[in-house]
Amino acid sequence: MSTHEQATAEPRRRVVITGAGLVSPLGDSPAALHQALVAGTSGRKPVELFDTTGIGCTEGGEIRPFEPQGYVGDRNLRPLDRTSRLLVVAAQLALADSGWAAVLRGGAGGAGGRPPAGGTGSPAGPGTGAGAVAAGAGAGTPGGGTEAAAAGGPAEPSAPGAPLAEQVEVGLVVGTTFCSVRTIAEFDRRAIRLGPTHASPLDFANSVINAAAGQAAIWHGLRGVNSTLAGGEASGLLAIAQAAEMIRAGRADAVLAGGAEELCFESFFGYHRAGRLCGSRRGAAGAATGGEGAGGPAAVAERPVPFDARRNGFSLAEGAALLVLEEAGTAAGRGATVHAEVLGWGAAFAAQEGEAGMAAAVARAVRLALADAGAAPAAIGFLSASASGSIEVDRAEALGVAAALNGRAAALPVTAIKAMLGEGLGVSAAWQAIDAVETLGDGMLPGIAGLETLELGLPLPGAEAATRQLPLLARRLALVTAVGADGHCAALVVGAPPAPAAGGQATGKGAPGVRETAP
Amino acid sequence: MRIVITGIGAVTPLGTGRDDLWTGLLAGRLGFAPVESFDTAGFNVHLGAEVRGFSPAAHVRTLDPARLGRASQLAIAAARLALADARVGQLDDWHDGQPAGVAAERAGVALGTTSGESREIERFDDRFLAGELDAVGGEFMERYPCQMIAVHVARELGLAGINTMIPAACAAGNYALAHAVDVLRAGRADLMLAGGADAFSRTTFTGFARLGAIAPERCQPFDRRRRGMIPGEGAAVLVLEPLAAARRRGARIYAEVAGYGLSCDAHHMTAAHPEGEGAVRAMARALADAGVAPEEVSYISAHGTGTPTNDRLEAIAVGRVFGARTRVPISSIKSMLGHTMGAASAIEAAVCALAVAHDEIPPTMGLEEPEGDLDYVPNVARRLRVEVAMNNAYAFGGSNASTIFRKCEGTAS
Repeated sequence: MSTHEQATAEPRRRVVITGAGLVSPLGDSPAALHQALVAGTSGRKPVELFDTTGIGCTEGGEIRPFEPQGYVGDRNLRPLDRTSRLLVVAAQLALADSGWAAVLRGGAGGAGGRPPAGGTGSPAGPGTGAGAVAAGAGAGTPGGGTEAAAAGGPAEPSAPGAPLAEQVEVGLVVGTTFCSVRTIAEFDRRAIRLGPTHASPLDFANSVINAAAGQAAIWHGLRGVNSTLAGGEASGLLAIAQAAEMIRAGRADAVLAGGAEELCFESFFGYHRAGRLCGSRRGAAGAATGGEGAGGPAAVAERPVPFDARRNGFSLAEGAALLVLEEAGTAAGRGATVHAEVLGWGAAFAAQEGEAGMAAAVARAVRLALADAGAAPAAIGFLSASASGSIEVDRAEALGVAAALNGRAAALPVTAIKAMLGEGLGVSAAWQAIDAVETLGDGMLPGIAGLETLELGLPLPGAEAATRQLPLLARRLALVTAVGADGHCAALVVGAPPAPAAGGQATGKGAPGVRETAP
Repeated sequence: MRIVITGIGAVTPLGTGRDDLWTGLLAGRLGFAPVESFDTAGFNVHLGAEVRGFSPAAHVRTLDPARLGRASQLAIAAARLALADARVGQLDDWHDGQPAGVAAERAGVALGTTSGESREIERFDDRFLAGELDAVGGEFMERYPCQMIAVHVARELGLAGINTMIPAACAAGNYALAHAVDVLRAGRADLMLAGGADAFSRTTFTGFARLGAIAPERCQPFDRRRRGMIPGEGAAVLVLEPLAAARRRGARIYAEVAGYGLSCDAHHMTAAHPEGEGAVRAMARALADAGVAPEEVSYISAHGTGTPTNDRLEAIAVGRVFGARTRVPISSIKSMLGHTMGAASAIEAAVCALAVAHDEIPPTMGLEEPEGDLDYVPNVARRLRVEVAMNNAYAFGGSNASTIFRKCEGTAS
């Protein structure tokens, strides 16, 4: 197909982050989450969403109180289950943060609602109306809307001068493991208990695993690509990668990408029975002792402690988070604030179970992401690791990252925010990516709360309990990894915003070692 | 980069393997029978399109089939059949070497599903209601999450490349195919297994029955008297690789995946947009992506579930893209296979590729009084030159996906 063959010869379309929205046990904005993580606050609390009696584990990352009306007003929320509500709220916040909410409403398509991370932006002036935005999208973009159409964008491009919302469809790519397994199970159990004629049509509509993505699209009028990816702990990162790939390939110009997961009895109990929650194997195991029944209670942590010798499982959490990914020209054309740039990503699968196979897959994912970004290992400023306190996975992740980064691993600052947030499965990597952008902005790298005894021989000595202020040089490129116990491994390289055309910006230097064009 | 289909594997209500599917469809065979997976006594509908006589052990060789959910078993069988069909060499999988000369790290999986391993959560529910949750062990989380279908296929075959599970409901097969094409075009893999799988599900059956969407006796897409769809199960996997690589190894080529288009209605969870708005955009975008004009399309594989609403709106959407008086043949194989959910558009993609390769199109069965003037290929398969085929799929959540297949120099016949 000619357009795709041409695309490889042209400069690569760049993917920028123009906003984010999230709900989490530690706050409902990138800034609030970052503040809590930097302070080492834990989002873990006694679970009240369901009865934990008899389970043995009683705590998790529950969002409480969660009152979606406070965000989305009094529209009818009844058709939405908890996962959908979480996602609808995250999308609402992301659209507002990026300025897309105003565009979709048909009003002024000005810049994002918050200042750029670590710098001053140049938000569009108050006089920027819809007409001006549309003109900007056409004129200010290299190729602009016409390029998008030629490269597989809207097949029926609107006339020049049409509102931006008609020229650019906003897509949605959601990572999740279960969507709502609670809705599915309750639908099934009600039909079994009362008979199939008592089954709930409303619950059935939400029983598909892409239900939350569909509900959020309906709620916010997102008419572009609508996709859901399931990849366990790596889901959110795979979603970000798929969305970025579509933008790069000219198939989309603006996509909300991230993940959503609700805390519910079915998954909580399931992971407990699999021995994967911290507390599931209370007194029976610990990473350092490494064997069933070999460890005493003294060697085991009662909280999630990534990379720690005493780690004993993860803490299950819930939430939703979406980044607004946008083609750089589209973002510039509407005067959006660019918070960061998605420079590269990689994904691999551990076909061989066990630590060695997993570490090799992690290493491949990281190498692919670095190559895609054109970044040398030495240029990576810090790592936001996937590590959750999982006995099986944390060490493999560290081995794999270190293998891919060679000498850089020894001095690499590392955070693992699941120490505070818990394991949010589909949403985890989106939280990581959003907070990595915050760290690129203010240089504060959250410590790994509770980390006392880094596992012996773990090749990431830069994993520390204390929050650090990173030097400027380490605030250019962030590496985010997402590793699932099921073998899904993914890595993402995010860079500080490129230098603005005019006006000073503290972090405005282009990332070192980053190619401007495709090889 | 042009991407082609070089292997097809399918497990459907018409049997195991590509030939059972293709010859069955051309002969107008119906895959419906009273449901055996569970007791339908409490329902007023009883027909399903289940896969009968399927032996997991004949296909699952590396993993222990007893430890896999049924959708994983079906997917593995389809994947192994697809690889064998693609004649990737003497090797059965990547545990022993590099079939088709592709390294394990450069070979990936993209699969779609609607409900994943629904039987695992149904078993959980049975235990919950019986007060026997103590019987739930670690296997629940090792089997149930839907991505385990793609995980199991990759572990079974030793595939270490990109691994993606796309639970995009009833458009999932097309979504997975589209994703695989993107992965190959971006140079992130050299070979992809793409498709979809779903196991016959009590939950799905209950839901569609409650919506009144299940036909009591026959599935009659596009007929005035159609009364609904019939739930089914199955799996289909396609081997995708760049045209240049396929040529180099002398592979048989079924068809080129010429393009795709995705969109979202953003209108209603279970009902399509009243003017087929999103479906129109998906079709138009797919045509533009493939560089194909509507009049160049030889055949449309309809979503065609057989429900009153779907078929009416799909016909409207097709009319808006192709012209109200279009004579392009359009048929629904769901009239024979039922609605195999996440597998459906993967099976339909396979059938489009076979139609392009063999210049023959399957009929819409049960068609007695066609609604509207489109050419629904009633009841009898038809021979005609199939240069370009389009595959439509629509899902809960308003997701629409159209894919386009084109005859490629060297296409097998």
